[in-house]
Amino acid sequence: MATVQLHEIEKSFAGTDVLKGVSLDIADGEFLSLVGPSGCGKSTLLRILAGLETQSSGTVSIGGRLVDGLRAADRDLAMVFQSYALYPHLTVAENIAVPLTMRRLSGAQRLPGIGSFLPGSRALRREIATTVREAAEMLDIAHLLDRKPGQLSGGQRQRVAVGRALVREPAAFLLDEPLSNLDAKMRVHMRAEIAQLNRRLGATFVYVTHDQAEAMTMSDRIAVMMEGELLQVGTPDALYDHPADIRVAQFIGSPAINILPVETDEAGVIRLYGAQTGFRAGSARIEHLGVRPEALMPCDDGELLSGRVRLIENLGSDLFVQLDVPGMLRPVTLRLPPSARGRVRPGDLMHLRVDSDRIVGFDAGGKAAPLLRAEVPAHV
Amino acid sequence: MSEILTTPLTSSRRSARPEARQARAGAILVSPAVILLIVILILPVAVAFVLSFSDYTLGRDRLTWVGFENYADIFTRSSYRKMIVATVLYVVITVPVSVGLGLGAALLIRSLKIGQSLYKTVYFLPVMASLLAMAIVWEFALHPTLGIVNRTLALGCGSPLELWPWYARSCADGFPLWLGDRDYALWTLAFIGIWQSFGFNMVLYLAGLTAVPRDLYGAAEMDGVRSGWERFRLITWPMLGPTTVFVLTITTIRSFQVFDTIEALTHGGPAKSTYVMIYAIYEKGIAQNLVGLGAAITMLFLGFVMLISVAQRRFVERKVHYQ
Ligand SMILES: Nc1ncnc2c1ncn2[C@@H]1O[C@H](COP(=O)(O)OP(=O)(O)O)[C@@H](O)[C@H]1O
Ligand SMILES: [Mg+2]
Repeated sequence: MATVQLHEIEKSFAGTDVLKGVSLDIADGEFLSLVGPSGCGKSTLLRILAGLETQSSGTVSIGGRLVDGLRAADRDLAMVFQSYALYPHLTVAENIAVPLTMRRLSGAQRLPGIGSFLPGSRALRREIATTVREAAEMLDIAHLLDRKPGQLSGGQRQRVAVGRALVREPAAFLLDEPLSNLDAKMRVHMRAEIAQLNRRLGATFVYVTHDQAEAMTMSDRIAVMMEGELLQVGTPDALYDHPADIRVAQFIGSPAINILPVETDEAGVIRLYGAQTGFRAGSARIEHLGVRPEALMPCDDGELLSGRVRLIENLGSDLFVQLDVPGMLRPVTLRLPPSARGRVRPGDLMHLRVDSDRIVGFDAGGKAAPLLRAEVPAHV
Repeated sequence: MSEILTTPLTSSRRSARPEARQARAGAILVSPAVILLIVILILPVAVAFVLSFSDYTLGRDRLTWVGFENYADIFTRSSYRKMIVATVLYVVITVPVSVGLGLGAALLIRSLKIGQSLYKTVYFLPVMASLLAMAIVWEFALHPTLGIVNRTLALGCGSPLELWPWYARSCADGFPLWLGDRDYALWTLAFIGIWQSFGFNMVLYLAGLTAVPRDLYGAAEMDGVRSGWERFRLITWPMLGPTTVFVLTITTIRSFQVFDTIEALTHGGPAKSTYVMIYAIYEKGIAQNLVGLGAAITMLFLGFVMLISVAQRRFVERKVHYQ
């Protein structure tokens, strides 16, 4: 159980900067997800934290102690790899036992054959076997203990990898895309299990994923990373409702947020293709508005925008309607309740208004900027 | 297009079931390969097997069946007993050392930051060079009086090296006739065999090492594996299992087949101490035209090789492919 601090971590491989000064404080027992597109440096950051890779500059502390000089074996962390990295020649029980045998048995006691006759070795091995069995029972893999990894399904292998990580009760768990090799159904199932594990063990989890849905459903906090930088760190709600950067807004949420290209005139009035939007810029000029599909609502006249229905996606619980808005390259998506089924048809003209608390403005640099409701037309 | 699709349907009245038609087409398609296989590979072995029960010699138009006489010769006459001893000894010396050195060299090269390709090339040179050509170099190097080996050894006389009794004795009585002394000849040839073959094993092991997932080493490090030896025992050695089986088999069969150095350097001597099987086959079956006897030794040789292959399949492969 420990806090984890990363301070100004930089890393370059042969002249390419992969991490550009990443700082992150993770609380004791927290479930923190590190999310971002492939190749943004998530695994590199996790490997630096683990001690498998050395940073070019910056510091890593675990439990308040600087660990930069310590090798991975001495950092008291456990890691679950995307490939699971199980030892293929060992049984499930032996795989889970490795972290214990390596730490509790002496070099001589580990030797095959004679090792088990050395004093104390029998008792220690029995103790390890008990611990392994407990861990396996907790993960529902006790019946697989005698199998080799090659005989297991993807989900079972994944549990073995988790078992090997938790058997030692480490200070923190590092998980690098542990679910990405599973099928969709298994992924949803394991998502819940891993989140529960975090609560049950009370240990710190650092969870790397490129899947924003995993991050949203499992985490206490999410750190969004792109091109080697952290764009925003916050709770799933904060990231969803108040994205600090247009890239965060676009990355989080499915279907994606609607980005409307707008202009801000001298008076601060925000216009969408010349028409007033009903919003004014606070301090900075606004270049884009972000609106979640569920923040848009049909209305009688074109308060914010109007368009013709291009496509209707019926998910049962929700109805996602894509509108072609004149002048916009990409369609605007809005969510309708299932009760709207059958009442909207492709080709229909729809007028939309927006819930004013649910709209976000972004300046020219893509950063979130304050937005005011224009109660009175701005030119008055 | 529609014509192409319907043609087979209308013209296949004789065998309506598509499986049967496919099976017939398959049989026709594989028959050339099967015939070639029989003519080129199986027939010669069968002929050799038949001839091994005769006294056939090339050029004579009739032959006498001698039953198991050729085989009885092999197992009773002392020169053939020496043949088996020399062959087995050569294999037993060469294989472990050449495989061990190959693995060691591969591990060392993999751990290098720079110069990997230089070492790979250098160690692989003897493999690419013709052993017959290299044998001439070795013949010069090992010449009892003029060779660089004994002349270099002689330089050490008078130094503390003489504390080693063998060295002191050699300084007094002369250094060994490496290829002419029956106590040394086979070991010298084994040395040359190792020198020649370990580079090949190294290349195979290097290939095997690239197939070991990098994550496994990361996982081992996280699991508390600190020493290189533990890492080797937990990951490298088990993961190289299939490679090792392959390398062992190849090296063993190649060692059984040693011929060129024997022919170039010792001709089976001195006192038949390097009289290995392939050389015996060559001497009896071709040089002395005793085809029947040569064929019998060939059968014995094939028996050995078969034994190795079966051992590989039965005992080892099941243990190193972790399914
Ligand atoms: N050992 C390495 N040598 C060179 N480049 C690397 C190495 N490891 C990662 N990289 C590069 O660093 C970038 C980030 O990689 P990674 O951390 O694996 O991304 P992610 O896990 O977010 O998909 C990639 O462009 C990758 O090519
Ligand atoms: Mg990655």
